[in-house]
Amino acid sequence: MNPTERILAVLDGKPVDRLQTFYPGFDAWPTQQVLGKPLISGEAIFRNPLTRKIFDKWGPKLVNLVTDPAINADFMKAIQAAIAVGFDLVWVGPTEGQVMVWNSTTLLRYSGSFYELTVDGHGNMYYMYREPAFNTTEDYYAWPYFVKPDDAAQKSYKFFTKAMKKYGDKICVMPQVQGLHETMVLSLGFVNMAVFVKKEPQLLQHFIAYLEAYAMKLCMAMLDAGVKVILLGDDFSNKTGPSMNPKINDELFGASYQRITKAVHDRGGRIILHSCGDNTKMFDYFIKWGFDGGHAYENTSNVDIYKEKERHGDQFTIVGGVGVDYLLTEHSKPHEVEEGVKKLIDALAPGGRFIIGPVHTHPDMDMSKVKIMMETVRRHGNYPI
Amino acid sequence: MNDHLAAVVTAIDEMDLDGIEDLVQVCLNSGIGAEEIIEKGISQGLDIVGQKFEEGEYFLGDLVMAGEVVKTGMKRVSAVMDPAKTKQKGKVVIATVEGDIHEIGKNILGMILSTAGWEVIDLGVNVPADTIIETVKSSGAQMIGLSVLLTTMIGAITQVVDGLREAGLREQVRIAIGGACCSQALADKMGVDAYGETAVEGPRIFDRFKEDLASA
Repeated sequence: MNPTERILAVLDGKPVDRLQTFYPGFDAWPTQQVLGKPLISGEAIFRNPLTRKIFDKWGPKLVNLVTDPAINADFMKAIQAAIAVGFDLVWVGPTEGQVMVWNSTTLLRYSGSFYELTVDGHGNMYYMYREPAFNTTEDYYAWPYFVKPDDAAQKSYKFFTKAMKKYGDKICVMPQVQGLHETMVLSLGFVNMAVFVKKEPQLLQHFIAYLEAYAMKLCMAMLDAGVKVILLGDDFSNKTGPSMNPKINDELFGASYQRITKAVHDRGGRIILHSCGDNTKMFDYFIKWGFDGGHAYENTSNVDIYKEKERHGDQFTIVGGVGVDYLLTEHSKPHEVEEGVKKLIDALAPGGRFIIGPVHTHPDMDMSKVKIMMETVRRHGNYPI
Repeated sequence: MNDHLAAVVTAIDEMDLDGIEDLVQVCLNSGIGAEEIIEKGISQGLDIVGQKFEEGEYFLGDLVMAGEVVKTGMKRVSAVMDPAKTKQKGKVVIATVEGDIHEIGKNILGMILSTAGWEVIDLGVNVPADTIIETVKSSGAQMIGLSVLLTTMIGAITQVVDGLREAGLREQVRIAIGGACCSQALADKMGVDAYGETAVEGPRIFDRFKEDLASA
């Protein structure tokens, strides 16, 4: 079996020789701990007064020349780092060019949200959600920056064709597609989202139709590029439970997701849902919508990953498990990492449908602890478990 | 309960954004005072929503929507309120810590506390510890609510605790934390006085603080 065949087998509930491992390759610093830091840091470049002036004046025009290539180079490095550490599955992306540098302090996501440009404490540029772009119905319908799904799909196809050619035989490459619910919340703001469910259902349907078309085109382009497993990123929950009533989520997004997962399955692909927070009340819907597995099960939320193994472990693959709040940080002790990982293996690996890895991407993830996680998997993760 | 006040309670429970203003006006027209509308109408409606949230029947979106209904109703009530007659339980400074700009939980907390009779001084998001401490000094507030969503920003809690200590205020001021990365263990570690898992717990926590401070 090659890496992708192994991951497909796990997602289908079929036996494999050893527990599979997952790397969320989203943040720069973890990757740099493996491959080395760049000679000049992103922070040094971006904080330079001349650069700031350039971005203040021409930021939106530098997408093709600077922003997209820089972001995609980092994602390609994330794949290299994952291979170097020995992972089986890597989360990559989004690579279709979702953002532009609005000015020297702000990123704009084309789907309608603004982000504070900040730093990660390790010399890299970082971002933090600031505000929605659509405060009114008029803002939404007048928005000039929506990307045509075909254009996004072409960019994604180009990236993953290259990635699969270089690394497809070494690791299972899992691209990210933006989720419908989360994108809407970011673009409308949570208050508007809650209000619009009652007062602006037509706008929501219009937005969902666009986002579904976008996600669908991207999924098909990724499959065309040779990818077999896709990660759809859509945070439905917060620490204590779903942000919106699960029934409303189902009414709004269920049909779209069923069409997307069916299309991916019809092409021989598999699709995992990344959703932060406590999704206990959402898992039945995720399964109904056709997702093959879920990532996150954040240990800092109220979700009980062990109970979820009992409830849905025979039909829904659990991806993640290892905390980035402590275990995979510089603060933990090596024996704590080993014990924590062993506990997860013992409880979740029997019966399959489990891929171990960090519960989330995190800019401070300590790769020396990640390597201990991997060594523990090598020692204790061979089936039968 | 008076039928008009009961209608206000129901409107908040059922998140009737379009109907609340008229219902509050009906109360005012029938001679019910602003304070009574808040206490027996708006606040009770919000209590029911909070209870349903804690029981898992309502979700964060419902809390936010109910908050919008409350805001709309409060606008009408506030217009006829006499500030001199308004009773306040005390002052609470709330803020999302420096480096973090998430505000949903903090805003819900502010809305719930205001409706429950607290004077809320909302400093917004990404607030430096110094600003929080200066506000405590200048306002005389004895309670702080800190929102922290990101694990990378928990150090900011320590800055507030240490800052209060350096200013000689730690004994007189109670601090509560909440947000995705928070827990009771973190609250204990950081030396703060309470952890709230959800904003709905806010009034209980700050009522308890008030009792503590009164008996200290």
